[in-house]
Amino acid sequence: MEDASKRRRELEAAVLDKVGEVISAVRSAKRVDQVICALHSLAVLLFPLDYSSLLSGSIDQRYRDQVLSAKAPPEEERWEWWQAFYRGAAYPTLARVLLFDVASNWLACFPISARVHVYDVFFVSGLSSEVVQTLVPCLQKNASDGHDINYVLSNTERLLVHCLLENDGVLQMAREFCQSEDSISERTKPSVATLAQIVASIPDKARLRAPVSLSSHLFFKQITIQLLSLAEKRDEKVLDKVDFSNKSDMDDALQFVGETFSRICRRGSADVLLSEIAPRILRHVQSLLSSDFDSAVIDVFEADPGSQFWLKMIEAIKDVYAVERISEQLLHHLATEHASDVEAYWILWLLFHRTIRHQTSVRSMFVDKFVLWKTFPICCLRWILQFAVLECPPDANSLTKGHSIRGLVDTLQRLIAVWSKKEFVQSASMEQQTYVSAAVGLSLEKMSKEELDGTNDVMHLILQGVSCRLESPNHLVRKMASSVALVFSKVIDPKNPLYLDDSCSGDIIDWEFGLATPDKGNLDASDCPEKDVLKSKASILAPESDFNHTANRGISNNVKSKTKKLSEFKFVDPDEIIDPVTLNHEPVSDIDDDNASENSESSSDSSLQPYDLLDDDTDLKRKLSQLVDVVGALRKSDDADGVERALDVAENLVRASPDELRHVASDLVRTLVQVRCSDLAVEGEEESAEDKRQRALVALLVTCPFESLDTLNKLLYSPNVDISQRIMILDVMTDAAQELANAKTVKPKHRTGPLITSISESQPWFLPGSSGPPGATSWKEISETGTLLNWSSRYERELPSKSGQIKRGKTRRWSLRSSSVQENQMEWSHNKFPVYAAAFMLPAMQGFDKKRHGVDLLDRDFVVLGKLIYMLGVCMKCAAMHPEASALAPPLLDLLRSRYLNLRTSVQCLNDTMQT
Amino acid sequence: MSKRPTPDPVAVLRGHRASVMDASFHPSRPLLFTGSADGELRIWDTVQHRTVSSACVHSAAHGIICVASSPLIGANKVISQGRDGTVKCWDIEDGGLSRNPSVTIKTNTYHFCKLSLVKKPSAHAPQAEGHCYHDETEFRGAFDLESLDGSKEKAERGLTESSNVVGDAHAEGPNYVAIAGEQSHEVEVWDLNSAERLVQLSQSSAGGSPNISTSERGMCMAVQAFLPAESQGSLNVLAGYEDGSMLWWDIRHPGVPVTSIKFHSEPVLSISIDESCRGGISGAADDKIVMYSLDHSLGSCVGKKEISLERPGISGTSIRPDGKIVATAGWDHRVRIYNYHKGNALAILKYHHATCNSVSHSSDSKLMASASEDRTVALWELYPPKS
Repeated sequence: MEDASKRRRELEAAVLDKVGEVISAVRSAKRVDQVICALHSLAVLLFPLDYSSLLSGSIDQRYRDQVLSAKAPPEEERWEWWQAFYRGAAYPTLARVLLFDVASNWLACFPISARVHVYDVFFVSGLSSEVVQTLVPCLQKNASDGHDINYVLSNTERLLVHCLLENDGVLQMAREFCQSEDSISERTKPSVATLAQIVASIPDKARLRAPVSLSSHLFFKQITIQLLSLAEKRDEKVLDKVDFSNKSDMDDALQFVGETFSRICRRGSADVLLSEIAPRILRHVQSLLSSDFDSAVIDVFEADPGSQFWLKMIEAIKDVYAVERISEQLLHHLATEHASDVEAYWILWLLFHRTIRHQTSVRSMFVDKFVLWKTFPICCLRWILQFAVLECPPDANSLTKGHSIRGLVDTLQRLIAVWSKKEFVQSASMEQQTYVSAAVGLSLEKMSKEELDGTNDVMHLILQGVSCRLESPNHLVRKMASSVALVFSKVIDPKNPLYLDDSCSGDIIDWEFGLATPDKGNLDASDCPEKDVLKSKASILAPESDFNHTANRGISNNVKSKTKKLSEFKFVDPDEIIDPVTLNHEPVSDIDDDNASENSESSSDSSLQPYDLLDDDTDLKRKLSQLVDVVGALRKSDDADGVERALDVAENLVRASPDELRHVASDLVRTLVQVRCSDLAVEGEEESAEDKRQRALVALLVTCPFESLDTLNKLLYSPNVDISQRIMILDVMTDAAQELANAKTVKPKHRTGPLITSISESQPWFLPGSSGPPGATSWKEISETGTLLNWSSRYERELPSKSGQIKRGKTRRWSLRSSSVQENQMEWSHNKFPVYAAAFMLPAMQGFDKKRHGVDLLDRDFVVLGKLIYMLGVCMKCAAMHPEASALAPPLLDLLRSRYLNLRTSVQCLNDTMQT
Repeated sequence: MSKRPTPDPVAVLRGHRASVMDASFHPSRPLLFTGSADGELRIWDTVQHRTVSSACVHSAAHGIICVASSPLIGANKVISQGRDGTVKCWDIEDGGLSRNPSVTIKTNTYHFCKLSLVKKPSAHAPQAEGHCYHDETEFRGAFDLESLDGSKEKAERGLTESSNVVGDAHAEGPNYVAIAGEQSHEVEVWDLNSAERLVQLSQSSAGGSPNISTSERGMCMAVQAFLPAESQGSLNVLAGYEDGSMLWWDIRHPGVPVTSIKFHSEPVLSISIDESCRGGISGAADDKIVMYSLDHSLGSCVGKKEISLERPGISGTSIRPDGKIVATAGWDHRVRIYNYHKGNALAILKYHHATCNSVSHSSDSKLMASASEDRTVALWELYPPKS
C-alpha cells in the first residue's frame, strides 16, 4: 500500500517535471516546430501515437529526427503516466498553456495533422471530466494578458464541440463515473453536481458567434441522446452490475445523468429533453406490454433491467422543479403521441411509482399541482388521476378504482373545496375551470354513495358549486355544473339521473366540454410550445417600439417573462448548487411521516374514537350579576333570552340594594317600563315575565324610592308610553306604597338577663344549671357501668324540639332557628311610607288634567284615571294617622273636587277598580 | 355504539391566585411549569399533583404571559416572559428555581404575543412514545428520595438519568427565541446565550405583497420559530398578525418573507407546528381553526383543513409530539381535541369555567395541561399512546 502511494507520488513528480519542461520549452520556443516537438515529446508518453511519420511530413527536417527519435513507452507505463497526468495537477497547468499561449501564439501555424495529433489529443483523449473543467471556464475569459481572446475563445469552442459532441464526451464522462476506482470516486463524488452544472452551462457561456451545435437546443439534444444511449447500452452489463455488485458507481453515473437532466430543465430546455426521452420510454413500455402481457405487468417491469434505468434516473433527479417540468412535458408529449391509457399509466408508474411514495413533493405535485393549478389535456388528467389518486392499473379504456379510497376521497374533497368557491367561478380562467370540473367529475364517478356519505361536506359543497355555476351567464360554465350534477346524481341514485341541461342526455359526458385543447397541434408544430408563446408575446409587444429596437425588445421581453416564470419557484438560480445531502434527506423523513400517518390511520379506529361531542352552552350564558349588565341586557330587545334572564335576576339584585343602585335606578326603571314582555316571552309565559317586571319595579320603588319615582312619574304622562304601561306604572306604585307601609325593620330585641346566676340551694353546685328553653326536663345522672373509679359524673336531660325543626335521625341540628325564637328576638317597626308619600302622590296629581299628545285621562283614558285615583287612595290609606296625611289631603281633595270630576264618578271609579 | 362520555381531568392543580396564562411541561422530568397573570411561576409535580416550588419571577402588576421549556435550551432551564418587557431564563435547581435568572433579556415589549422557542424536527418523532421517560415509577422513586433526604447525589442521579434519556436531543450551539418586537409589528429573534438581538423581521419591506402595508397587518400576535430539516440550519419563523394573515420568514432573508397567507379574518392568536415541521395549526379570534402543511422546498403554506367553530376565539393550540391529536384552548372555556391527520373533532372538554389561555402536551404524549383564567390548571390523559 505504501509502496503504491510512494510510487504514485514519484510518478506524479516525474509527470510534473516533464510538463514543466514542456512548458518552458514552449515559452522559449522561437519556431512553431519547437513547440510541436515539445508537445509531441509529452504526447508520446501519454497517448498511443503511431502517426509519427504522418506528423513528420509537415515539419522541418531538423526537428523531424527529434520527433522520430522519441520512443513510445510500453502500454502499461503509458497508462500509468496518463492516470498521473490527468488526475494530478499537471493537466490543468498544461491546459492553461495550451489554451492561452499556444492557442493564441502558435496554433494558427500548426499544420492540420500536428494540430490533431499533438494539440487536440490532449483534450480529445483525455479524461473528459477534467477536460470539461478546464475548457468551460475559458469560455468566459476576457482579453487580458495580450492573448488574442477571439482566437482563444473560438479555439475553445471548437475543442468543446470536438470533445463533447463529436467524441461523445458526455457519455464518456458518465462512464468515467461508472468505472472510476474507489479512491477516485471519493474525489469525484462531490463534483458530480458541479460537472453537470458546468456541462449544462456551456450553451449559455458560448458566444453568439459560436458554432450552431453549441446553441442550447442542439447541444442539449445531443447530450441527451448521448446519455440516453448510455442507458440503452447499459441494459445488459451495467445494470446487472448495479444491482448485484458495486452500487455506488452506478449511482454516480446515474446521478450525473439525473443531475444533467435537471440542469437542462433548469435552463429551460425541458421540452428538448423530453422530445428525446418520451419516444424512447414509450417505445420501451410498448415493447414490454406487447411482448408479455399475460403475466403480471408489475413483475415484467421489475424484472426488466431497462426499466430499472428509467426508474433510477428519475430517482436521481433531486430537483423538485426539474421533476415537475419533466413530468409536465412528458404528459404533453404522451398526449400528442396519443398514448393509450394503459401505456401512459405504465410509463408514469415506471418513472414515478417509487418517488411518489417516498417524496411528498412529488406526490403533492401530482395530486395538487397537476390537478388544481395546471391544465393538461383531459386524457392527461385521466392518467394523473389513475396513477396518483386511484393508484391501480387501468382497464382498457376506463378508470378503475383501487382498494384504497382514501386518496380518492382526499383528492375529491380538495377539488370540491376549490371547485365550489364562488371566487373560483368568477376569477379562474376557462381552461382551468374546465380542467377542475373534469377532475371533479372523473373522481366523483369513481365514488360510491357510501363513500360520499362518509365525507364531511362534499355533498353540500357540490350543491353549492353547482348552484353558483348555474347562475352563470356563460353556457360552458352552466354545462360544467349540469355535468357534475349528472355524475353526482348517478352516484347517489344510478337509476334516476338528473339532467339539468337538454344537451347532455347521453351517458358519456364530454369532459372537455367541446374545448379542443390547442396544445396538441402546437406541440407537433414546434418542440417548444412555451417558448413559442413567449416569443409571440414578445412580438406582440414589439411593434409598439421603434423598429430598430424590435429585436432587443423582443429578447428582453423574452428573458423577462422567462425569469418571471422561474421566479414563481424558489430556486431561481439555475447555477445554484443543490446540496444532494439535503435532498437525500427528504425521502427518509418522508417515510417516517408516512408510517406515522398510516399507523394513525390504522389505529384511528381503535384509539382515536371520538368522545361524546355534545356541547351545550348553558354554562356560557353570562350570569348577570351587576345591575349595569341587567340594564344592558334589557335594552337588547333582540336577545329575548338575555332579557328573560335579566328579568329573572332583576328583583333580587335590586333587593340586595347595592351601592350603585341609586345611580342606575332611573335607567333601570325606564328600561323595565319599556321592555315588551309580551313580545319576548314564550307563549303562555307572558304572565310570569310581566309579573317579574312588576316585582322588579316594586322592588326598585321600595329600595330606592326617590330616584325611581322621579323617572316613573315622568313616564306616567310621557307620550311615549301606552295605556297598558301607564296602568302598569300606577299598579306598581300602588303595590310599592303598600309594601312600604308594611315594611318591617328588624331589630334584635335587647334582652337583659342576670349577669350572676345564683345557684339554688336545692341542687348541688356540680349539677348543670337549670336555665334553658322552657319545657326542658330536669337533669338526670347517667349511670356509669364498668369502671369503679369514676371521677366525673355525667348528666343528661331532654330538650323540647323547636318548632319548625324536623327530626331527622339522631342528629340534632343546632343551627336551625325556629321562627318563634326569631319572633321573640325581633321587633317590628311599621310603615316607612309616609316619608315618601309626597313623592308618590304630588307629581301624579299634578298633570292628570292636561290633555297632551297621547295622554287624555279625562276622556279617552278614563281607566287610567280610575287607577290613578285608586293609587292615590291607597297612598292616603297608607299614610293615614301620620302627619304627612294632613298635608297631602287638601290637594287630593282638590283634585277630587275639581270641575272635571265629580265626586260620584270618582268614587265610582274607585269602587270599580277596587273590585277588579 | 353509544358515545363515550367526555372524560374529566385526571387532576386539577390549584394554587395560582390569578389567571394562569401559560403552561409548559419539562422536556424529560414529570414537571409542569405554569405562569400566572400576577407574575408567579409555579413548578408542579405531575405525578403527585403538588406544587414543587413557587416564585414570583415577574412583577405582580405585569404578570407572566408565557413560560416555555425545550430540550434545545437544556433540560434544566425554563423561560418566562413577562409583560414587563423582559424574558428571563431560569435554572432549575433541585426542585426549585435559581434565585436569580441566568439570563435576562430586556426586550422592551409590552404586548400579548407569547414568545416561541425553536422547534426542531426530531429524528425519532414517531417513536417518541416510550422513548422519553419510560418508567414513571422510577421517577417517582427518584423524586421521593430526593425530597426526603435532599441528597445531592440522588438529585444528580435523577438529573443525569433524565438527561440521558433526552441526551441525543441536546443540540449544542446557539439558542434562539422568537418574539414580537418592540415595534409590535416586527418579529425579533434573540440569542438566549448572549441576550442579544439577532435579527428583526419587519414586514414593512415585504416584497411579496407590497399592497399590504405595515399598518394594515397590524401587530404580531403569535410567533413560532422552527428549524426545518431542509433549511440547512437556518431558522424559520412563522408569525401571525392582527389582520389574520401569517408570514413565513427564513432569517437568511430577513427582508422578504418566504410566503404570506391569510387563513383568518381576525387576529391570529396561536400557531403550532408539528414535530416534523411540515405542518401546523393556527387558532385566531375568529371562528376557525386551520390546519396547514408547510412545504419548505416550494416555500408554500397550504391550508389542509379548516375547522369551523360554534363560538369564536382560540387562544392556544398544541400538537401532541406524536402528531396524532391537537388540542385547542378556547375563549368559550372549552378545550377541544381534534385528530391531527383527519381534522375531525374528538372531544370537547368542559371543565374550566373561564377562558382557557393555553394548552400544552408533555413530551411523552401522555399528559395534557390546560391553563385557564379560572386560576386552575387541569391535567388530562387522552388517547394515551400505546407504549
